[in-house]
Order: sequence, then structure tokens, then C-alpha cells
Amino acid sequence: MGASMLGLIQNETLKLMRRRRFLVVILILAVLIPIFTYAQFKTVQTAQERLGTSDWRSLLQQRIVDNQNRLASSRMPEEWRQWLKIQIAQQQYYLDHNIDPSAPSGVTFSRGFMDQAVGLFLPMIIVVLAVDLVSSEYSEGTIKLLLTRPVRRWKVLASKYLTLILFVSLTVLSALIMSYVISGVVFGYVGWDMPVLTGFQVVGGELDTSTVFMLPQWQYILLQYGLSWFVCLVVGTITLMVSVLVRTTAAGMGIMMAALISGTILTQMAQSWEQAKYLFNVNLQITDYLAGSLPPIQGMSLPFSLTVLSVWGIVSLIVAFMVFTRRDVTS
Amino acid sequence: MADVVLSVAGLVKAIGGKRIIHDITFEVRAGEVFGFLGPNGAGKTTTIRMLVGLAAPDGGDILIGGESLRNQFSRAISQVGCIVENPELYKFMTGRENLELFARMSGNITTERIDEVVEFVDLTEAIDEKVKTYSLGMRQRLGIAQALLHKPKLLILDEPTNGLDPAGIRELRQFIRKLAEEEGLAVFISSHLLSEIEMMCDRVAIISKGRVISVGSVKSLMEQFADQVDFQFTERSVDQGVQVLRQIPYVTEVWTLTEGHVKCKMDVERIGELNQSLVAAGAEVIGIASKTVTLEDLFLTLTGGGDAHGSEHAGTHSK
Ligand SMILES: Nc1ncnc2c1ncn2[C@@H]1O[C@H](COP(=O)(O)OP(=O)(O)O)[C@@H](O)[C@H]1O
Ligand SMILES: [Mg+2]
Repeated sequence: MGASMLGLIQNETLKLMRRRRFLVVILILAVLIPIFTYAQFKTVQTAQERLGTSDWRSLLQQRIVDNQNRLASSRMPEEWRQWLKIQIAQQQYYLDHNIDPSAPSGVTFSRGFMDQAVGLFLPMIIVVLAVDLVSSEYSEGTIKLLLTRPVRRWKVLASKYLTLILFVSLTVLSALIMSYVISGVVFGYVGWDMPVLTGFQVVGGELDTSTVFMLPQWQYILLQYGLSWFVCLVVGTITLMVSVLVRTTAAGMGIMMAALISGTILTQMAQSWEQAKYLFNVNLQITDYLAGSLPPIQGMSLPFSLTVLSVWGIVSLIVAFMVFTRRDVTS
Repeated sequence: MADVVLSVAGLVKAIGGKRIIHDITFEVRAGEVFGFLGPNGAGKTTTIRMLVGLAAPDGGDILIGGESLRNQFSRAISQVGCIVENPELYKFMTGRENLELFARMSGNITTERIDEVVEFVDLTEAIDEKVKTYSLGMRQRLGIAQALLHKPKLLILDEPTNGLDPAGIRELRQFIRKLAEEEGLAVFISSHLLSEIEMMCDRVAIISKGRVISVGSVKSLMEQFADQVDFQFTERSVDQGVQVLRQIPYVTEVWTLTEGHVKCKMDVERIGELNQSLVAAGAEVIGIASKTVTLEDLFLTLTGGGDAHGSEHAGTHSK
């Protein structure tokens, strides 16, 4: 008697696939990534026309010399010296391994793609996946069949959540694979070992470079996609809660899109409204911490954003389970 | 007496602070078709939602096969198959996929059982088509297949004939009788149509404004209404007609209604004989009809207000 969790997940997966949700996600990626690739290609082309392509080695050589000269001059704070040394090491590595740092590769493209996608594009895709997970059962009336089986309600919702986690993971993985494979056609499939700088810290509103170190690009990407996966998971969890609370897909979609887009707007104009940093939607640009750009609001850091997102995720999950297991089904 | 499969005691429910269900109590036994009869808005669907675990009662107990729905949800609900309101299924999947889905939720259901149920509801040909291509009747049957899949002891159907054509209704009726008589299922059916309950059910609970006002066998209920005849007289001869009727020994009761209608209890076989007496006495009879009992009549009788101003529907005697 009763159902196994695996059987329930199988059911949810089947429903999600049959509703073509994942197919839509893959199609969106398959259409947009080539467009971004082409845009990137044009940018590179324009840059190369301006600067010329052949002399990147001498340009890099020149920059190393410049940095060394600055290093040699006295009256420089210790952390600046540190920063210059790391930059020189990176540039030297590029030179030694014959890597043109400004030339795009499939791997670099994937990295840049996620930097751009994690704030809005990817969360939107996750919303498409998750928004009608529960609300559609209510609007189509199938909830009546789902909840009159010998399966406890928490187990029904848990199976939906686990299925969501599965598809969030598949989506992030697909984004990586597709951006690498598609852009690689144009830019080549190299660049996994290229060193990338990370480890920036923000101290008192200033970027602190004293803790910066080099990381092979594949490790960087692993870190970056891992963090993005977490962002997507939290957005998915919040969407699941909304899906439990509202009755129609349109309402859920509206709420989530408004939240995501207002987050993007807030990150651009909320410098003076410090409390905004506790909203989940201004904490989505999580890969920026790796790349070392200044956060949109003072007091934000990687651990801070991870904490805010975790709290939102946990609270959403609790609300979703409480409401779903207690609420009467009426029509 | 057969086992009690469903026992409901003192069920109470309020929605938004307003009491909708007041103290509902009844029992349903194995092998019987039990009707739940009441007009729209009486609280049938609300009660059924509580019986299948979709809504939590504010008070009272529901036992299914002796297991408490509240404390032993899985064990209790696994003995129930139901369709609440419309047969809602996943339209974007085939009939078979739907059944497989529910099979996985109930556990221990073989593909042979699925085939068996599909055959039982006569959907073998269409089972691999998407549900969105099904007619309402086919959806109804798939809904029943879904409800029967895990061999429940109790089948709960909420107004199952809604939207079906007369042929579909007849088919469903035979089907339900067969389930109760041959498979020994307890079937609980709600309806707002007396005629439907009368044809399908063994026993009936009558519900009005959230209260059960009567529980009993359909036969004894209908007997109260046997042999009623409606005479219509011209305005000026009503009084005379009533006088005659009261004097005839085989007319046992007489009620004066509006617009010249007079209802009386008598042997239907003797209508012609009575008519002759009326004509002979000079009462102008302009219509005679043996009555079809309506839900309104039933309520008026049960609540004791059925004397003078009942709404009357003339019809031909159909039994
Ligand atoms: N969700 C709800 N909120 C408020 N009132 C409700 C709700 N559902 C049902 N009711 C009220 O409860 C009463 C019984 O409704 P229902 O059980 O659907 O009746 P039936 O199925 O017998 O037609 C009606 O008066 C209806 O207005
Ligand atoms: Mg109803």
C-alpha cells in the first residue's frame, strides 16, 4: 500500500515532460545562445579590426613591462604590489602558454554567458519550469485525484520539489553544455586551463585585491555554475511557494516576473536604500562576487547573499508545505 | 446485515466562519447503492470533499472500513475510489498513462489490473489516445476506471450523471447496480434529482441546508407518495369538486391547491369512476393527472409544510 517516493517523482517528471516545460526551456536556450554567440563574435571582430590581431603578444608583453615598472617604483601600498604581482603572473602565464586573453573560446563564452544569465534570464527560465507545478493541479482539478490516494500530502509536495530540483540541475547543466558546444563552433573548444583571477573582497566599499588568486578556468566555471545552481534552486523554491499560494498560472507568472525584474531595477538604483539588500531579488547576481565587481548595495558579500538566499528558500519551503498540507481543496 | 463500509457521525464544517454542514450522520453498507439527495447548495459536495480527505471536518468522525480518515488517512483512503464533481484527468496524457500514474500512487497495481479495468469500463479502443480527445462520457468512464483501479470497497460519486445524455445515464445506472450487486461495492452517489436516486439507489439520505432530514429506504420514501392524483377544476366549480371528493370513500386525503388544482390520495385505477361521479355532480373537470413526485414535494412532506401551497408538477404516471 502507498507509493514509493521514486514512483511519485516518476509521475511528476512525466507530467512536466508532457507539459513540454523542459522542452520549452531547451528551445529558449537553443535559440538565444546562438544569438549571444553571434553578438560576441561581432564584438570580437570589431575589436580586432580596431586593434589588429597579430600583435596581441607584444601588447601583452608591453603590459607586463608597464606593471613591472610600476612595481619597481617605490611608495606603493603593500596590497597594490600584491595585486600587480598577481596580474603579472597571470599575464606571464598567458604569454608562456600562448593564450590570447582577449580572444574568446567556448569556455570563456560559457563563463561570460552565466555572468549575464544568472541575474534574470536563468531565473526566468526556472520560473517557467516551476510556476504551474502546483497551481495547474488546482486549476485543472487534478488535485482532487492527487490528494485522494493513500499518499500523505507532504509526500506529494516533496515529490514535486525533488522533481523541481532535478530539473533545475538539468537546466543549469544544459546551459553550460549548450553554451560551450554552440559557441565552440565559432570560438573553438579550448580554454579550460586558462587562469582566471578570483578571490576579491569588498572592504568598506572598496575592492580588496589582497586575497586574489589564480584559478584554472574549469575550476572557476565549476564554482560559478555551482553558485548559479543555488540561485536557481532558491528562485525555484520561491516559485513553488507562489504556485501553492495562487490558483492560476498567469497570476504566478505575473508575481514572479515582477519580482525578478524589479530586482534587476533595484540593483541599479538602490545604493541609498540599504535594507533592499535583504530582498532575494537583488542577490541574484552572485557570480559578480567571483569576478570582482562592486556589489550593488553596501554590505553585500558572497556569504551575505548566500545567507539571504538560504533564508528566503527555507522560509518559502516551510510556507509551501504548511499551506499545501493544511489547506482545504475547494473549487 | 452487511458490513458498514462508511460511517459518518456528527460531521460539522464551517467555511469562512459560516456553518455549512451541521451534524451529518449516516452509514453506508457493503453491496448497497446509497443516495445523497439534496437541492443545489445543500452541501453535498462539501460533505463529499470531507469524505475523501480533500477538506478537513471541523467536527465529527469519518470511518472507512473501520479506519479513521483523520488518524489513519492512508489506510482509510486506500479503500475509497472517487470522482468529486467532474472526472478530472490529465488531458495531455493518454488514458493509459493516466491510469499508470494513479497506479503508481496506489502501489501494487499490475498492468493486468489496468487492462482489466479498462475492459470493464469498455475503453479498450481509446485507451492509448490523449484524454483531450475523449468525449465527456469517455472521460466519465476513465474516471470510473481510475476510481476502481485499486479495488476499493467504497465508491463515491458526486452527481455523476451531470452532463451525460440519457443513454449515458442509463448506462451508468446499470454499471453502478452491477458494481454493487456483483462486486459487493458500497456506492455513495449524490444527486439533486429525485428520479435518478429513485432508479439507482437502495437507501437514501436527504440533505437540506447542510442537515440530513431523513434517512431510509428509497422504497418506503416513495410509498408516501404513491397513488396521488391531481384534478383541475374551473374556478367556479372548485368548491363543489372538493365537496364531492371528500364524500367519496376511496379518496383518503384531499388537499386544495392554487388555480383550481386539487390533490388527492386514491387508487389510480379508479380515476375514471371518480371522474364520472364528479361530472354527474356538475363539477367541471378540466384536467386529471397522476403526479410525478418532485424533490420539492418530498421536502414539503418531510418538513411538514406540504398542505396547501405546494408547487405542483403535472405529468403522466410513469410506473
Ligand atoms: N469555498 C466556499 N466558500 C464559501 N461558501 C461555500 C464554499 N463552498 C461551498 N460553499 C457554500 O456551501 C453550500 C453548499 O455547497 P455545496 O456543498 O457545493 O452544495 P451542493 O454540492 O449540494 O450543491 C452552498 O451554500 C455554498 O454556497
Ligand atoms: Mg455539488
